[in-house]
Amino acid sequence: MAAVATCGSGAGSTGSAVATASKSNVTSFQRRGPRASGTDDSGPRLVSIAGTRPSVRNGQLLVSTGLPALDQLLGGGLAIGTVLLIEEDKYNIYSPLLFKCFLAEGIVNGHTLLVASAKEDPANILQELPAPLLDDNNKKEFDEDVYNHKTPESNIKMKIAWRYQLLPKMEIGPVSSRFGHYYDASKRIPQELIEASNWHGFFLPEKISSTLKVEPWSLTPGYIKLLQFIQNIIYEEGFDGSNPQKKQRNVLRIGIQNLGSPLWGDDICCAENGSNSHSLTKFLYVLRGLLRTSLSACIITMPTHLIQNKAIIARVTNLSDIVIGLESFIGSERETNPLYKDYHGLIHIRQIPRLNNLICDESDVKDLAFKLKRKLFTIEQPFQFLNEK
Amino acid sequence: MLDSLLSLGGLVLLRDSVEWEGRSLLKAIVKKSALWLVYHDFFRDPLNWSKTEEALPGGPLGALRAICKRTDAGPVTIALDSLSWLLLHLPCTTLCQALHAVSHQDSCPGNSSPVGKVSVLGLLHEELHGPGPVGALSSLAQTEVTLGGTKGQASAHILCRRPRQRPTDQTQWFSILPDFSLDLQEGPSVESQPCSDPHIPPVDPTTHLTFNLHLSKKEREARDSLILPFQFSSEKQQALLRPRPGQATSHIFYEPDAYDDLDQEDPDDDLDI
Repeated sequence: MAAVATCGSGAGSTGSAVATASKSNVTSFQRRGPRASGTDDSGPRLVSIAGTRPSVRNGQLLVSTGLPALDQLLGGGLAIGTVLLIEEDKYNIYSPLLFKCFLAEGIVNGHTLLVASAKEDPANILQELPAPLLDDNNKKEFDEDVYNHKTPESNIKMKIAWRYQLLPKMEIGPVSSRFGHYYDASKRIPQELIEASNWHGFFLPEKISSTLKVEPWSLTPGYIKLLQFIQNIIYEEGFDGSNPQKKQRNVLRIGIQNLGSPLWGDDICCAENGSNSHSLTKFLYVLRGLLRTSLSACIITMPTHLIQNKAIIARVTNLSDIVIGLESFIGSERETNPLYKDYHGLIHIRQIPRLNNLICDESDVKDLAFKLKRKLFTIEQPFQFLNEK
Repeated sequence: MLDSLLSLGGLVLLRDSVEWEGRSLLKAIVKKSALWLVYHDFFRDPLNWSKTEEALPGGPLGALRAICKRTDAGPVTIALDSLSWLLLHLPCTTLCQALHAVSHQDSCPGNSSPVGKVSVLGLLHEELHGPGPVGALSSLAQTEVTLGGTKGQASAHILCRRPRQRPTDQTQWFSILPDFSLDLQEGPSVESQPCSDPHIPPVDPTTHLTFNLHLSKKEREARDSLILPFQFSSEKQQALLRPRPGQATSHIFYEPDAYDDLDQEDPDDDLDI
């Protein structure tokens, strides 16, 4: 895994952004910015990939999940080489939105996409991606939307902390240089962005013939085909470093929809002790191995509320890196609870990984709720007025 | 809404139980919507031993797939009586994949001929199966009709899942006439039901507090006109806030005084050579 390069080492690791010590200066601290590391720096220049940034906590290279609020909860973003598992809500309304924001973030940053689904054609999925918000005006409008629960005095000229007015406002640069964008769920992504992007689709009904004999100890054929497909793409396009002629390194974003549902040929949702109940866990194990050795990040949505054997859910959670559960209030008794009336559901962060670390980045906020406004998906902590002094 | 069940397309799941059977509703819906009926009987002779009629290869699943490959346009409704029979004879995953392939055929852009909307109406006896297959089929279904009722009056609870929208549900009371036509009715009379809890008005927690959460106008004015303790006048504040030229680079000037030793070799001054 990528790690922070220690001072003085000349090896360029993909996680480090602190410029390595060059031979000429006496000090190893160099000021970043327009005056930084001038032309006499003879150390290796690190190629930074668009849309990624190193984590300040553990040095991993992070990509954005498409929702800046979720990035913050995960400690900056999704680390490259890891799996983000989303446990779908009961009627599968909000988890496709997170899935599509992840893919849209890939398109906006210029990453390569790999979309796998057994339910919908990947081309149709890409047509329905939300449009990114790139203007300054829209960004201001959504800042007000997101932060309107704070006291109104904080928006006008600051009275007590007036020196903070000196700090520069967050600049809105070009599309590819920002980390984390906001998306408008009511509009579709422009067609030219999709056409300019590089994507691969895997639609299971097209790839598989239905009369394959399945041995009980192996993976279901759908999973085997998907793993082969992913491995081919990683190898051919050089995401694992096997193609050294590639001039510009890029990140592969993999999205797998509804993994574990009967449409993939897996019967963990149908029976408690099916014939190949280890198929999904084996798939996740092999997938994680593929991801760890390449510059890719993966999002998987899984209908865990349908899985009959709870032990499988526990195994799946252990085999994934970040696990987020969505629980929507539709149809449950919480819908009429007046405390939850502003929100559409709860988000449970079930697991955060320890990557090259002894501790993980667990946030101290445990109860989080989300709401899908007309355009924006926000994650907030309800009952915030109870925390304010 | 019972009469427009098939307009949405996709899989319509009809869940019945021993007390409230759904076959008559299935026949009523078929009668209402079908213009031309083709009947396949796989129950009487499943392996076609009598060889009386043209056998469709592959059994019922083969017949479903054959319908997949049809080329004539026009909306098609496939009524399956029952899905429980298919679930008992086929693996659940195969059935789910076949139903999905049939019911989503119209959304494939690769079809050369414009195929009409395909609806699959399936009857499922939910008491025959565990929660697994029932849950799996429910998640695939576009519309789910659960039969129930009270005191001799049948009701259908219809849950409609439109893609990317909140599901809507509705309860419709109905009865089936002897000629299999559907008679929509109002619910049973309400007086005989026990009265439910009176509606409790939502409680606002900010009333009846012993402390004051809001500021009155006078208090707000007083707070605004408060002079801050560090006694900066506003002019000096503005002068500091105005960006000075060259402010991006900060300089630190240091004059070494008498006690400073600029000897880099021996900063602690304790070497005695």
